[in-house]
Amino acid sequence: MATTIDDERLDAMFAALADRTRRDIVARLSRGEATVKELAAPYSMSLQAVSQHIGVLERSGLVSRGRHRQTRPCRLEPGLLEAAISWIEESRRAWAERMDRLEVHLARLQDGEAR
Amino acid sequence: MSGDELRYRRVFRAPRELVWRCLTEPVELAHFWGPRGMTTPLDGIVVELRAGGRFETLMIGEHGSHQMVATFTEVVPPERLAWVEPATGVHTTSTLADLGDGSTEVVIHQRHVPEPMRSPEARAGFLTPLDKLEAHLAHLIREDRP
Repeated sequence: MATTIDDERLDAMFAALADRTRRDIVARLSRGEATVKELAAPYSMSLQAVSQHIGVLERSGLVSRGRHRQTRPCRLEPGLLEAAISWIEESRRAWAERMDRLEVHLARLQDGEAR
Repeated sequence: MSGDELRYRRVFRAPRELVWRCLTEPVELAHFWGPRGMTTPLDGIVVELRAGGRFETLMIGEHGSHQMVATFTEVVPPERLAWVEPATGVHTTSTLADLGDGSTEVVIHQRHVPEPMRSPEARAGFLTPLDKLEAHLAHLIREDRP
């Protein structure tokens, strides 16, 4: 797997994305930056709970927060996500090729059995 | 979106038992397992076909080799096969469905398992109670021997 990112960072990211709410937050940030309050609005959970989810995303490197404005808006860091997507793409390609060869092998086996 | 998952589906014109055989017998795996440009020789394949058993393939290419080391987490012939690679945390499940017309649908589902789930203890947690009972019985039988 030829990703330029090390396994540990990728692990942290996949762990962060293993949660539905956090995936939802990432999806919303992909449309532009937002404050914690804005991100929390659609959920029934407390602001603190949403802050904790954002904390996990921040530590994973997927999300960063502004330093200067008081509201410290969250934004997506695309680099890591791209590494994950390239992992998935590579995996998909490897399986597609493997399945191509299996198809050929199965045809050969059945051909042999028919004779 | 679900960034940590891969799903791959393929329908083969072959009966399910034959597809299962290809996915689980080293002599068949040797024909198709390795990535493009690499071969998977028979003597580099280890298949201990039970939950907790080893699944290893040594893939050899012109510019080096790559070994996949995995542990089976689920073995339900001829329907479902799953393994985890402790080094990368990748968990792969293959599900085989008999489509009734002599063809078989194979769905590959791959996801990352977080680090804490990769310890031997956590891997044991993947085992079904029946597998654990079997392992335990085997252990007891060994202990009973003089």
